[in-house]
Amino acid sequence: MNRAFAFSKRCFKEMIRDPLSYIFCLGFPLVMLVIMSLVNNSIPAESNVTTFRIENLTPAVAIFGQMFVMLFTSLTVSADRSGAFLMRLFATPMTGRDFSLGYILPMLVIAVLQSVITFIAGFIISLIVGSALNIGGMLVTLIVLLPSALMFVAIGFIFGTLFNEKAAPPLSSIIISLGSFMGGIWFDAEKTGGIMLTLCKCTPFFYCTKSARSAMALDFGAENFFIPLLIVTACAALLTAVSAAIFSRKMKA
Amino acid sequence: MFAVEVKELTKKYNDKTAVDGISLQINEGELFSLLGVNGAGKTTTVKVLSCLTDADGGEAFVLGKNCSKEKDAVKALIGISPQETSVAEKLTVRENLRLIAEISGFDKEKCSARVEQTISELGLGEVADSLAKTLSGGWKRKLSIAMALISEPKVLFLDEPTLGLDVLARRELWKVIESLKGRITMILTTHYMEEAQQLSDRIAVMVSGKIKALGTLSELEALTGKQGLEEAFVAIAEGSV
Repeated sequence: MNRAFAFSKRCFKEMIRDPLSYIFCLGFPLVMLVIMSLVNNSIPAESNVTTFRIENLTPAVAIFGQMFVMLFTSLTVSADRSGAFLMRLFATPMTGRDFSLGYILPMLVIAVLQSVITFIAGFIISLIVGSALNIGGMLVTLIVLLPSALMFVAIGFIFGTLFNEKAAPPLSSIIISLGSFMGGIWFDAEKTGGIMLTLCKCTPFFYCTKSARSAMALDFGAENFFIPLLIVTACAALLTAVSAAIFSRKMKA
Repeated sequence: MFAVEVKELTKKYNDKTAVDGISLQINEGELFSLLGVNGAGKTTTVKVLSCLTDADGGEAFVLGKNCSKEKDAVKALIGISPQETSVAEKLTVRENLRLIAEISGFDKEKCSARVEQTISELGLGEVADSLAKTLSGGWKRKLSIAMALISEPKVLFLDEPTLGLDVLARRELWKVIESLKGRITMILTTHYMEEAQQLSDRIAVMVSGKIKALGTLSELEALTGKQGLEEAFVAIAEGSV
């Protein structure tokens, strides 16, 4: 555990010293929050579009931000693999479990910090537009976002372990596009119906957004909150186990 | 007990045999050089001995511990300075050393003591708080060796430690390596004959995965009838003996 903690400290320090992490993990989600708030301001009230209302937008942008943590995770792991630094560490008593924890823990910390900042920005915007966000809802949502953060970090870890520096980030970008679309971040997926809704429901991204928006609304019903949260938690657990297994296998190879 | 003992070691990558049934023994405190042209099997041998890859045949031991069956025990005994730059670029020199000290399992006090001791022994004081990415090639190599030494290894693998360095930086590193002689067993792979001649107690010449000659410099000179390591190496590598 001490070895995992030492390695996670290294990963965290290297990340916060990389300007790219601020652009990917903080800058872009915050810019989207501001832009979409402006879009919402331009939508006539009678159109009944609620996706960009700050109480729906903030949790969705928090999920969107987590997808960038996935991208950054894949970049970090693939970059480490391309150099000899990991080779040096493979010749120490560090185990696959130490490496997995060492990569995942600091990324989770970054994801939580990113969500906190997103919610602070969302709260400020909500005060400006005159519909203050519920503080209790924000706090519950921050906790509800943990499984999805773990899930995205695990996906990034898998990509970073399996693919090189050139392939891992583009693959993560595909997941970001797919996740934004299927997760209903920029539109209300449930209002689409038909094959589109069925496809959305086949991905965990849909349930990430649904559970986060429900938590924000303090709607803790089974259909809107508990079942989606359960699905996201199960996916996060499965993908984390898979990512650790893949890394350990690669390490031995 | 030998520091390193290799018996009929073989390693294949698909159809290519990188190491072909080599056997050797290295004594404790010895500086042993592995020479060979590119693809001769030097780095593969080091990788097997440092538990980075498994052998396909034969056995390798570090201080009596089996490199395939007792990996954790072997890893606790060795340090490695790989061929490429192998430092955390966005950590400082001190942070890089502390990371390896912590991974080695030292307690907090010992970590701090080892970091300061290693900085002092390797003359890293003036760059201790600089980020690794800002260091010159020579300083990075020095840091790489320091990171291999901080865990107090009994056996140190130096895989082409001076590759790409200018003559002054290379001489500086030789001084560091010479200062460790006798205290730690070192296995050095290099393409620089002058380096092997200057530093080694014994030298093995590898050709196509096999050890073609092994001995002290004077023994290799006597075997080939040539003067100097470079001439002796060329004669052995070209199959003239």
